[in-house]
Amino acid sequence: MSMNNRISDDILRNVEKPARYTGNEWNVIQKDANSVKVRFAFCFPDVYEVGMSHLGMRILYHLINEREDSWCERVFAPWVDMEEKMRENGIPLFALESHDPVSVFDFVGFSLQYEMSYTNIINMLDLAGIPIRTAERTMEHPFVCAGGPCACNPEPLADIIDFFILGEGEEVINEVLDIYIEWKGNGTSREDFLDKISSVEGVYVPSFYDVQYNDDGTVKTVVPIKDKYPRKIRKRIIKDLDNVYYPEKVIVPFTDIVHNRMMLELFRGCIRGCRFCQAGFIYRPVREKNPEKLVECAEKLEESTGYEEISLASLSTSDYTGLGKLTDQLIEVMEPRKVNLALPSLRVDSFSLNLMEKAQKVRKSGLTFAPEAGTQRLRDVINKGVNEEDLINSVTIAFEGGWSTVKLYFMLGLPTETYEDIAGIADLGKKVVDAYMSVPKEKRGKGLKVTLSTSSFVPKPFTPFQWEAQDTIEMLIEKQRFLKDKIKSRYITYNWHEPELSFLEAVFARGDRKTGDVLIKAWEKGCKFDSWGDQFKFEKWIEAFEECGVDPAFYANRKRDYDEVFPWDHIDMGISKRFLLKENEKAYKGELTSNCRVSCSGCGAATFGSSICIKND
Amino acid sequence: MNGLRLKFLRGEEVKYISHLDLMRVFERALRRARLPVAYSKGFNPHPEMVFGLPLSVGVTSEAEYADFGIEGTIEPADFMRRLNSQLPSGLKVLEAKKKFTKDNIMASITMASYKITVSTEGSYERGFLLEKLKEFIERPSIIVKKETKSKVRDVDIKPMIHHLCLGDTEEGVFTINCLLSAGSSANLKPELLYDAFAETFGEGIKLKAIHRTGLFVSRNGVMVDPLDNTVLKGTNSKR
Repeated sequence: MSMNNRISDDILRNVEKPARYTGNEWNVIQKDANSVKVRFAFCFPDVYEVGMSHLGMRILYHLINEREDSWCERVFAPWVDMEEKMRENGIPLFALESHDPVSVFDFVGFSLQYEMSYTNIINMLDLAGIPIRTAERTMEHPFVCAGGPCACNPEPLADIIDFFILGEGEEVINEVLDIYIEWKGNGTSREDFLDKISSVEGVYVPSFYDVQYNDDGTVKTVVPIKDKYPRKIRKRIIKDLDNVYYPEKVIVPFTDIVHNRMMLELFRGCIRGCRFCQAGFIYRPVREKNPEKLVECAEKLEESTGYEEISLASLSTSDYTGLGKLTDQLIEVMEPRKVNLALPSLRVDSFSLNLMEKAQKVRKSGLTFAPEAGTQRLRDVINKGVNEEDLINSVTIAFEGGWSTVKLYFMLGLPTETYEDIAGIADLGKKVVDAYMSVPKEKRGKGLKVTLSTSSFVPKPFTPFQWEAQDTIEMLIEKQRFLKDKIKSRYITYNWHEPELSFLEAVFARGDRKTGDVLIKAWEKGCKFDSWGDQFKFEKWIEAFEECGVDPAFYANRKRDYDEVFPWDHIDMGISKRFLLKENEKAYKGELTSNCRVSCSGCGAATFGSSICIKND
Repeated sequence: MNGLRLKFLRGEEVKYISHLDLMRVFERALRRARLPVAYSKGFNPHPEMVFGLPLSVGVTSEAEYADFGIEGTIEPADFMRRLNSQLPSGLKVLEAKKKFTKDNIMASITMASYKITVSTEGSYERGFLLEKLKEFIERPSIIVKKETKSKVRDVDIKPMIHHLCLGDTEEGVFTINCLLSAGSSANLKPELLYDAFAETFGEGIKLKAIHRTGLFVSRNGVMVDPLDNTVLKGTNSKR
C-alpha cells in the first residue's frame, strides 16, 4: 500500500508532528479495500498521541480486523495547523491505513471519552464531507455510530449520531457488522438497517425515540416511536473476561504518544462506589482476569511489539485480588527481557511501596494520593473510604522509604462542602509536611515537595450525585482563592483547574437533546479541541448558548428533584435509579457504603450475573 | 566490545519521523528480533547503538549508518536478516560488517552528499541553470543566517560546500548534487544550502525533495565509506 497518496510533502513539511498523519506503524493492518465487505473508520476525536493511547481503541481495532470480511482503520482529529492545510487544499478527512477519505467507509465510529471532545466530532464529520445531522444523511453516506463512557448520556449527540453502542463493544460490534453485511446485500433504506440493529441489546437509535418536555424545560417523557423498540436500552458487558478477545499484537507508533507502552487490562469495573465517580458505577460489575492468562498475554505482546515497558490498566489496580502474584510473575518474566513494569497509582501501603522498589528500581518518582476532600466528614459524604490516619501512615512509610515528592488530588464544589472542608485541604497538606519532618533526617529523602491539586466537581449521570448542582464558576474561583490563601508552607505548591471547562462539562454530561444545537453552534463559531487550553474559547460558547436560547446554568447549576425524569432515564447502565437515590440520601447523612467485596449494596448490576455479585447475594 | 556497523536506507514511508523516533524504532526492532545487543548498565538499560548524522524530518536517505554493541557472537549477515524482518517498511538494512575500531560512527562522519530536487514553475534551459549554479558558487562568500537557541548569526557556508553540480534536468524539475561538511566540527544542512541558492535564483523555484546519497569518514585526508575495511579495522588503534 503506497502511503501519502493524498497528502503532499508540501503540506507535511509545514505542519507540526507530521508523523501523526503518515501511518505505516509496526503491526498496522493493511487489507485490500476491494476484498472486504465492511470498511470501518474508528475515529478518535482528539490528536493521534491521545487517541493512540486509548486501550479501547486498540482492542476494537484488532477485534474488527480479525474478521476477514471487514477492515478497520484509524482516524484522528487533525491538529489545527493540518486542518487548515486540508481545508485550503480540499483534502477530506482520511483514514491512516489507506489514506482513503472517510466518506467512502461503511461505518464511522467515534469513541466518546470526554464531553469536551464533542465539537471535534462535528468538525471531523464536516471535514469528511458527511452531513453533521443524522436526518441529512442518505444512502451514500456512512453510518455514524459512537460508544464509550459518555454514551451513557447520549442525548446531546442524539441528532448527530445514527446509533450508539452502550457498554462494552466486543460482542455488539460483531453482531452489528453481521446484520450490516446482510442488509447491504439487499439494503433498502438507512432506516431499515437501524430498525434491524435496534433489536440488538446495547444498541440505541436515538431517532427512534421521541422526547417530550415539561414547561419548565425538564424532560417529561422519552418514548419509542414504535412499540417494538425497547423502552429501556440496556448496556452490554462481557461476562467472562478470560475468554474475550484481547489483541496479542498492538500498533507500535513511531512518534511518542501519551501512553507509549504495553497495557494489561486486569479487570473491568470497580468495587469502591465513590459517589462522584461515574466510572465506578457504569462499568460494574467487577470482573477480573486470571493472572496466568495476563502473564501469557504480556509475553505475547512483548514479542510482537518490542515495547520496553508494560503498565497495568484498570480503575483501582490495588483492588485486583491477584496483584501480588501477578506482579511477581510479571517481574520474573519481564526482567530478563529488560522490560520495565510501570505501576499505576496504587493505594500506598507497605505492600505497594515494596512492589515499587522491586518493579521500578529507579529514582523514587512522585507518589500520588487522591483523598478528594479535605475533611473526614466530606470524605464520608463522597464514600471515599480513606481516613486521615491511613493517609498520614502511608506518606510516613513513603518518606521513610526515601520518597520525597507527594501529590494530593482534591475536588472543590462537592455536595455539602463548606469552607471548613476547604481549609481541611490546606491542613492535610501541612500534616503531610509534618509527617516528613517527623522522619529523622538521615532516613528521609532530600527536597520535600508536596503538591495539592484541585479540580472542580462535575455531577455526572449514573452517580449518586446526578441530582446535584455544580457550584457556579464564581463560587469555584472564590473557593480556589480561599484555599490559596490558606496554604502557607513553602514546601507546598497549589495547582487548580480552570472552572470554565468544568462548567461546560457539567452542561453536556447531563445535557438533553436541546444542548446538541449548542454544540453545533459553538463549532460554527470555531470551537474545537476545547480541552486544549490554548484552543478553548469560552466566550464563543457563551454566545452559542445565548443564540440557541439555552441556559447552561439550567444544566450545570440546578439541583434536581428526586422525581425528575432525566434525559438518560431510558438508558439502562445496570445501576438502578433507586439505588443511586438511596446513595444520595446516605451521602447527606455521611453514611458509608461498603465495597462490593465486603457486601452487596444492591446497585442493580447483579442482574449481569458476574461472579462477584453471585458470591455476595 | 564487539560491534557491528550497519548501512541502511530510510525511505518515503518513514521520512517524517524524528531522529529520536528512529532510535526507538530500532530499539524495538532489536527486541523483537531477539538480537544479542549489548545494553547499558544502570536503572534504565538501553541498547548500545550509535547513529551517524541525524536526518532532518522530511529527508530520505540511501546511506544511513549505525553502530551496535554486541554481546556474544552473531554473524553480520544473520544480524542483518533478522533485523530486517522486524523493521517497518521504509527502513532496510543494506549491509552489515564487523567493526573493530573504537571510533563510533557519529564522531567519525566528516562529509555528506545529497541530491536536492527542485521544482520550477516554468521550464529552464540546462545552460541557464548551470550559469545560475556557477554564479552562486563563485561568490566570494555565501552568508546565511543560522539560528541557534539564543540568537541568529551570520555564517559563511561556502567553505562547507565541497562540491556542487547540476544533476538531471527535466520539464519542471531539476536536481542539484552536492557534497557538504558534516559532523561535529562543521555541519551544513542541505536545506540551508538550498535556501541560500533559492535567494540568489529569485522567484520561480520550490524545494521538492532532499535525499541523502552518502555519508563519509575521512582517513588521512581521504574521504572513505564508513563500511570500508580500513575504517572498520581502525589502523591507528591497537589490534
